Amino acid sequence: MNPVTNGALKSKKTSKKPEYSRFTQQELPAWKPILTPGWVITSFLAIAFLFIPIGLVSLFASERVVEIVYRYDQDCVPEMYRGNVSAYIRNSLTNKTCIGNITVPKKMDPPIFVYYQLDNFYQNHRRYVKSRSDKQLRSAAYESSTKECEPEARFNKSGDPVPIVPCGLIAWSLFNDTYNLIKKDKVLNINKKGIAWKSDTKVKFGSNVYPKNFQSNDLIGGGKLNESIPLSKQEDLIVWMRTAALPTFRKLYGKINTSLEAHDTITVVLENNYNTYSFGGQKKLVLSTTSWIGGKNDFLGIAYLTVGGICLFMALNFILLYVFKPRPLGDPSYLSWNRKAVN
Amino acid sequence: MTSNRPDFNFKSSSSTSSRNSDNINTQIRNVDLQPSSSQLSIQSNSWRHSSNLGSRGVRHGSRSGVDSEGFSMSRKEIEIDDDDARLVYVNNPVKTNESFEFSGNSIRTGKYSVITFLPRNLFEQFHRVAYLYFLIIAILNQLPQLAVFGRGASIFPLASVLFVTAVKDGYEDWRRHKSDKIENNRMSYVLVNDRFRQKKCKDIQVGEVVKVSADETIPCDIVLLSTSDPTGVAYIQTINLDGESNLKTRYAKQETLSRVPEKDIISGLIKCEKPNRNIYGFQGNMEIDGKRVSLGPSNIILRGCVIKNTDWAVGVVVYAGRETKAMLNNSGAPSKRSRLETHMNQEIMLLSFFLVTLCVVVSACAGVWLKRHQDELDIMPFYRRKDYSEGQVENYNYYGLGMEIFFTFLMSVIVFQIMIPISLYISMELVRVGQAYFMIRDDKMYDATSNTRFQCRALNINEDLGQIKYVFSDKTGTLTENKMEFQFASISGVDYSGEKTEFYGEEGGYSIQVDGQIWKPKMKVQVDPNLLKLSKSRNDTKSSKDIYDFFLALAACNTIVPIVANTSNPNEKLIDYQGESPDEQALVYAAAAYGFMLIERTSGHIVIDIQGERQRFNVLGMHEFDSDRKRMSVILGYPDSTVKVFVKGADTTMFKVIDESLNLDVVRATETHLHSYSSIGLRTLVVGARALSVSEFDTWQTSYEIASTALMGRAGLLRKVAINLENNLSLLGASAIEDRLQKGVPEAIESLRKANIKVWVLTGDKQETAISIGYSSKLLTSKMTQIVINNNSKMTCQRSLEDALIISRKLINVTHASEDDASSVALIIDGTSLVYILDSDLEEQLFELASKCAVVLCCRVAPLQKAGIVALIKNRTDDMTLAIGDGANDVSMIQMADVGVGISGQEGRQAVMASDFAMGQFRFLVPLLLVHGHWNYQRMAYMILYNFYRNALFVLVLFWYVLYTGFTLTTAITEWSSVLYSIIYTAIPTIVIGILDKDLSRKLLMTYPQLYGSGQRKESYNVKLFWVTMADTLWQSVIAFFIPVLAYWKSDIDSSSLGDLWTLAVVFMVNIHLAMDVIRWTWISHASIWGSIIATCICVVIIDAIPVLPGYWAIFYLASSGLFWVCLAGILIASMIPRFIVKMFMQHCKPCDIQIAREAEKFRNSMEITRSGEIEMNR
Repeated sequence: MNPVTNGALKSKKTSKKPEYSRFTQQELPAWKPILTPGWVITSFLAIAFLFIPIGLVSLFASERVVEIVYRYDQDCVPEMYRGNVSAYIRNSLTNKTCIGNITVPKKMDPPIFVYYQLDNFYQNHRRYVKSRSDKQLRSAAYESSTKECEPEARFNKSGDPVPIVPCGLIAWSLFNDTYNLIKKDKVLNINKKGIAWKSDTKVKFGSNVYPKNFQSNDLIGGGKLNESIPLSKQEDLIVWMRTAALPTFRKLYGKINTSLEAHDTITVVLENNYNTYSFGGQKKLVLSTTSWIGGKNDFLGIAYLTVGGICLFMALNFILLYVFKPRPLGDPSYLSWNRKAVN
Repeated sequence: MTSNRPDFNFKSSSSTSSRNSDNINTQIRNVDLQPSSSQLSIQSNSWRHSSNLGSRGVRHGSRSGVDSEGFSMSRKEIEIDDDDARLVYVNNPVKTNESFEFSGNSIRTGKYSVITFLPRNLFEQFHRVAYLYFLIIAILNQLPQLAVFGRGASIFPLASVLFVTAVKDGYEDWRRHKSDKIENNRMSYVLVNDRFRQKKCKDIQVGEVVKVSADETIPCDIVLLSTSDPTGVAYIQTINLDGESNLKTRYAKQETLSRVPEKDIISGLIKCEKPNRNIYGFQGNMEIDGKRVSLGPSNIILRGCVIKNTDWAVGVVVYAGRETKAMLNNSGAPSKRSRLETHMNQEIMLLSFFLVTLCVVVSACAGVWLKRHQDELDIMPFYRRKDYSEGQVENYNYYGLGMEIFFTFLMSVIVFQIMIPISLYISMELVRVGQAYFMIRDDKMYDATSNTRFQCRALNINEDLGQIKYVFSDKTGTLTENKMEFQFASISGVDYSGEKTEFYGEEGGYSIQVDGQIWKPKMKVQVDPNLLKLSKSRNDTKSSKDIYDFFLALAACNTIVPIVANTSNPNEKLIDYQGESPDEQALVYAAAAYGFMLIERTSGHIVIDIQGERQRFNVLGMHEFDSDRKRMSVILGYPDSTVKVFVKGADTTMFKVIDESLNLDVVRATETHLHSYSSIGLRTLVVGARALSVSEFDTWQTSYEIASTALMGRAGLLRKVAINLENNLSLLGASAIEDRLQKGVPEAIESLRKANIKVWVLTGDKQETAISIGYSSKLLTSKMTQIVINNNSKMTCQRSLEDALIISRKLINVTHASEDDASSVALIIDGTSLVYILDSDLEEQLFELASKCAVVLCCRVAPLQKAGIVALIKNRTDDMTLAIGDGANDVSMIQMADVGVGISGQEGRQAVMASDFAMGQFRFLVPLLLVHGHWNYQRMAYMILYNFYRNALFVLVLFWYVLYTGFTLTTAITEWSSVLYSIIYTAIPTIVIGILDKDLSRKLLMTYPQLYGSGQRKESYNVKLFWVTMADTLWQSVIAFFIPVLAYWKSDIDSSSLGDLWTLAVVFMVNIHLAMDVIRWTWISHASIWGSIIATCICVVIIDAIPVLPGYWAIFYLASSGLFWVCLAGILIASMIPRFIVKMFMQHCKPCDIQIAREAEKFRNSMEITRSGEIEMNR
């Protein structure tokens, strides 16, 4: 023990008393908010008065959006193939052209967005989202990095497996229905430029990457690509490759820059190429204007109104509670040991 | 009374241990002073007759004091069976260790060595179910079919947790090793080839002869052979062993004491017991020169004792290293786990059940989905089972429905793994380190007298401090300072308890000149100036004579040995009074301060310096203290050859032998003074004297000589002689001594009591002493009913327990009826009874009784019994226990309790080494428990629940999404966000709040100890709160997931954008959730909460700026749309509303104590809270 005591003696000269600071003594200046009844009511009212107007504004915005949805996947299958849709859609020789009419319910101001909507298409399926090579898309140097693209990674070119560009299931299943809109015998121009994100066309998809061996395997999944156009210019592919979050999704097909008047009838001439019949998916053509809130969707407006309403209701409840069952703040008689004594 | 006891062996004499005059007057005080008190003495045998064992074997817990040689002579030879014996050949370690491998003397308290550290530490760490679980997850993720996350991302969290914990454990163990090394490498002198040579402590072997000098610590258990004293006496201090600082005597055997080992080779054979834990017992015999000599506890010196007042002592090693009694009483340091963590592990099991449920749901749904689409899978564009790229068309990554379901299950475990919050473990470690930092730095727990800070030795039970229900405290050195101090005197009916001057004179204290040197008593005593003046004036008045006699009695009537010690100043020497009784020391120091300085004592005479004049008195005889007479006497021959007998003792027995007819007024006055002294908790003694006539002296001397040379029944004869002599005394006066309680102890105990913490005192001291300390520390009050259990057989124990139970039940019924909770029951039980009760079927009864008592005092308990008592509570209740002590005798108790606290500052370090927390003073227990414990508990409890919520919320959001992906475990949130979520996005605020948030101020917590109840009632963490939290989590996850889903339904949102929205929404939510619960907003809390929101945004931006990730630039497109912001705001408000409503409602209608106190602190003005508020609040 001697070394210890010696040590203790030595250190006695220097006091070990902890130096005082507001930090070490846990006495830092602090704001100690306590939600008093006043604050509670105020915050409920504040939320209510904020949310109800926002709800109304978004409902209003959603109401102003004009949306035309035209489902064509069923109607565009000729009668004779209704029993065997798969034979129809997979046969490249059958005539896929299909004509339909849609009516504009309200005046639509440009820009009018043309979407295709797929239902029950799991673009977020694990097998699917993983099956892509972002490296390959970006740079020609990584042409053969197709490890993640299975099972659509390579094409067996006479016994010699060569990489597919763009590889993977996503690219393979490229949507390839085409739409032509005719209004009063005049073709409506659908602008397909600038439908993809600028960041994608500039950075993510390489301007020196050209499609190779695409759709060469036995099973053809969807659209083909012009091998002379670099990927960065293939905007349909770029839009398609940004996989949708939910199994029902829309993708931008193009934009119409002329306005459509109410009760206009528009003839849709479409090529029904894409096979959603194999898994019971639906295909829809959507024409929609837009607002600050996006497309037509009443949900947020209703949600905001509900929350605002609940808050208003709670504010009233708490006012009643505080009036009829008041409790002085910090009243010691509510302390557990005092309550026990009273009991 | 018991003079005819036939078998007066050394064990039964232990009760007559010469530690006299420990507070002997307690009983009379209880009866006389507090007429309201009812002391229920349930004893089959009065304690003073029975206190130790009959002929039963010595079990741990018995205690034998020092036996004088006379007693041991009549002791029966103890035959030890050779099989049960340990044979030690004196000075022949080779032969001794030949046939048996006796343990070497090195000790180890560290857990790991360099080689075993990694495997053992990992092994210990993987005791945590969660760690094992995450290891399995990490391994699973390495399988190619299941690779959900990248390799790095999957291993990183587990590896970081393991690393941090290992570093922490390693550091703690390194410190233990360091102290072991100091112990092991101490040098001591060992006889090698007939010369004493220095040898490292760890190399000492059994059988070797070692030599120890004054003030050295004994390296191992040795049997004394000889000492520097010609009579073979060695004085030892056992503070490291049992916490007592006074000197005890040990004897070398007559047969060996004259031998000098260097010249005179000692060879012999010692036969003794196998190593055991009983530090008060030893049996054996020694064969030397063909003679057989018996050895008892007075012949052995144990490891850890310190030789005092003896130049050297030589002994033979009988037990070494881990076989020494001191080490056997150290029952290893088990790794402790906090109660909260144990509970938390239960909830984690629940969470893992949720996890399994989620995984089963996902895999079952996936199975159904696959089954339903079985025919379509081959060409389904988003599944495409067939691989056409090779020549042959084969299934790609598909192993049949069954396997797919199984893989889905495993993958979902991987995806949802943070349902079990691994980061919680690392956060808890960090929070505890932070809390420890603040506890150590707390200047209110700094002890200036010993210059020690608070120490946090264990870093994983901080929060247990907030839930303590039982405190087991040692007495000596823990409640008291272990320093006796002379306070008042009553001399011939005059009370000298006036104002005290600090010290006498400028120099400080009385001093004398010897050969040009100044001799001073080592300890200074406060003196009454009035009495000092009287004692110095030498006139022949009656009062002056009485004062003279009184102080002479104090200086002479004792067994104190004065030792002259050098100081740094060569002209100054200090007189150190050494003796077994601290009370006697105090009296002698007091006499010295008043000018009666004892400077020399031999067996034949004493020299006292009386007011500068040296006087030599012959000590003609001495009757030592025994607990029947409760007094001692000394017969002094004056220089003028008159003879006087001085007697001092307890008032109960002294007043019987005082001749009241001499001066009735004086006797009455003295009695009144005694009452007033003892009512303030002082230990009192009465002093009387009588001049002996020549004839009286002669009669006495003859019978004394006959008695002291008698071979049989010597003690009984001596007692008879003493009783004959000690009568018709004239009363000189009475003294009052204070066993000074440490500062603030009564207040601390009062606070603990208010906080509903039961305080038990476990002490090795006598019953009276314990009770008197109980009173002075306010542990016992006069209103309490005392139940005393004090038996020496199992049968009687059982009977008194049953009686006591009946009484306590009655009393408790009565108190319930009368609504007077002040009159509660105090149980006083002694170690002997505990021997029969603990580890037997009586334990249950004792527990029932003890749990009914407000206070429990255990006296004369051995170290392991202390642990046994702690275990009694610990094994039967869920309540948290804390043990606090300062000596090595408290080590086992400290280790047994849920929380062990060591008092540092005193010499002994063992208690501190074994403790979880160490501090300088008992009173620091109050801030430790009420303030830091409360804070730690609140913080940790909230942090655990919050972490459960935080991780479950994230998992549930992932889970809802999985339902929309064909049950394929796609995550919209990027892999890196998933990994960083619990490490960067949300980790810092919970740790910072866990370290810094305070629900109530220190002042408030100290003023209202009742607020501590929230921890005892588990208000901040319980199963109900867990379920409420989980329900809230479910709601919040639904809001966080479905608002965006419904808002973006049928839109062209891509999964990365939606994933970013969810990431941000969830991180904002959890931080705002936390912000709603933060009580004190310091700049650090602001910085951490808002900072981590900003950090998350930055991380999301960075992740989305990496071109090779699918989500490139998504956040920028997302944030430019109004819908995103409306969504985010909607989520944040809608998710918090139910919580806010419930919280506000509960706060108003069912406020908890903490809430009220917070409001009171903020809104009631300070006057109210300190004055009227206090009265009101403490109603």
